[in-house]
Amino acid sequence: MIDFINYLINGALVGLLYALIAMGFVVIYRASKVFNFAQGELVVFGGFIVWWMVASMGLPLWVGLPLAFVAAALFGLLVERVFFSRLAGESVFAMVMVTIGLLILIRGLILVLFGPQVRSFPIIFPLQPVIIGDILIPRSLLVGGVITVIVGFGLSWFFNRTRAGLRMTAVAEDHQVALSMGISVKRSIAFAWILGAVLSTLGAVIFLSGKSLNFLASDIGLAALPVALLAGFEAIAGVLLAGLIVGIIQGLVTAYLDPIVGGAIGTVFPFIIMLLILFIRPTGMFGWKTIERV
Amino acid sequence: MDPAGVFATSFERDQALIRTRGQWIALALFLIALLVLPHVLGPRLVAISTNMLIMAVVVIGLQINMGYAGQINLGQAAFMGVGAYATGALAIKFNLPFWLSIPLGGCAAALFGFIFGLSAVRIKGFYLALTTIAAQTLFHFLILNLPQSWFGGSNGLTLQPAQIFGFSFVSDTSIYYLCLAVTVAMVFGAYGIVRSRHGRAFVAVCDDDVASGLMGINVVRTKATAFLIGAFYAGIGGALWAYYVRFVAVDQFTLFHSIWFIAMVIVGGLGSITGALIGVFVIKAIQESFVTLGPSIVAQFPSLGGDVVFALMNVFLGGVIAAFLIFEPRGLMHRWNILKRSYRLWPFPY
Repeated sequence: MIDFINYLINGALVGLLYALIAMGFVVIYRASKVFNFAQGELVVFGGFIVWWMVASMGLPLWVGLPLAFVAAALFGLLVERVFFSRLAGESVFAMVMVTIGLLILIRGLILVLFGPQVRSFPIIFPLQPVIIGDILIPRSLLVGGVITVIVGFGLSWFFNRTRAGLRMTAVAEDHQVALSMGISVKRSIAFAWILGAVLSTLGAVIFLSGKSLNFLASDIGLAALPVALLAGFEAIAGVLLAGLIVGIIQGLVTAYLDPIVGGAIGTVFPFIIMLLILFIRPTGMFGWKTIERV
Repeated sequence: MDPAGVFATSFERDQALIRTRGQWIALALFLIALLVLPHVLGPRLVAISTNMLIMAVVVIGLQINMGYAGQINLGQAAFMGVGAYATGALAIKFNLPFWLSIPLGGCAAALFGFIFGLSAVRIKGFYLALTTIAAQTLFHFLILNLPQSWFGGSNGLTLQPAQIFGFSFVSDTSIYYLCLAVTVAMVFGAYGIVRSRHGRAFVAVCDDDVASGLMGINVVRTKATAFLIGAFYAGIGGALWAYYVRFVAVDQFTLFHSIWFIAMVIVGGLGSITGALIGVFVIKAIQESFVTLGPSIVAQFPSLGGDVVFALMNVFLGGVIAAFLIFEPRGLMHRWNILKRSYRLWPFPY
């Protein structure tokens, strides 16, 4: 029984981590209608910036971390300036394909700038787990979970309640309509990428704290995909719930099904969930329904 | 547009692939060049050419699926892998000759792709692209977790060389000719498909699926067919790969390979079979020249280290993809068509 509760809580916290990464997808989608395939690479790039600031340059944590977030924001802005500002008004298809190009580009950039070696990521959160009775909880995931919930509700409030957020929501609805309403699509996309890069860096900090880091860590981007899909690409707070669901299912499946099947089902199961969602309810739990009149 | 003086007087003439005597000569010269190529070039270049031929089959499949029918497919490498594994298993378990196992490998891949294409019943656009990512992950999981006696699991499959009438395709040259024959057949097949009723249905669905549905095209069936054909091509490519490398392993068919295939389609030009061939040639040539020049660059600047070359290749090609999408979304083929038009019209502006 105590094992079960352990799996449950750890699954839920890992799920919240996925939710944070998935929020990167959702934020970029919500403000620009672009599905960002390079999300995992953004996370790894953010991780390397933090590593560079804190471990390589030896800055103290309270200077290095904020600087890393600023650098990530600048990187997001750079991506938008170089690639997406030229594509405003073009088809969304081209923009999404550019993110596939970005995936290759950022991966190469990481290899050029930081090398393929495995680096040890600085310990941001203390390594000792939090122990309540017989339950062991990794501290980084616990703190990360709390941050994720706060960020999730904060962003949800921003996009649904404030004027600036609603403007971006209009961009996600339709670029041309937004343009004709006097909303700057370019600025919205720029903001989306800045926010996406910062969120990805935050995700990297929580995900990698005290672990090893190399360019292969970008797999987390794909692992977070089912979460974003279950919530629906437009729902920000919904991502939290979806993350909990996917995380708990994955945790339990890893614990109880893996020994039977012979491993690795835990990593595939989110994708099976994803396929089921796509077949049953492609818009996810909280996504906007689009009605096509024929 | 056609050169001056060439007029189509019948539907057959209008649909003809080769319209002028010049094109006949160019095609014949190109094929002769391909035939004598292994006798002129060194073994490494022949190996690269074989590689290009195999890639060409896979990318043409992706072109039909993505360029013509407009269905983004991020699982082409998985479909290729299914073909390779099916061919390998058939050749090892049942001792099937290659002229049976290659088409059957294609069919296996087509079935796998068709299943994912069927999801078009419910979903479209980027959601459909996501199911193909799931295909990629599922493929890896299945191969690694199915009983080892089926597909070799993590050990991979090792094949005997293809044999016919006591002749076995062991040498680089012989396998090159095998790949060339299959690729030429597949390329002509592709031209046939895209000119046919199905090809026109693909283009219509790509342009607007609601409008094409109103015109009486079965949209879902068209999308599923596109996946079927695309995956069949991938499977044939995978089967050739299995006989070429004679070793099949999962890490030859990753999501990254799929992305490279997409890059080839984009650089070559969406919606053109010739464009797919050009894309394969250009991207592969750039990759290989990086690999060839790499050691000498590293020798010049030892501080860079050997891995930098591979990394720079990624940066360069990622940049190339983005640049093409920004500045020339219709690819090199479109540039070539503009050039052709201008010299045919010369000295008149239009």
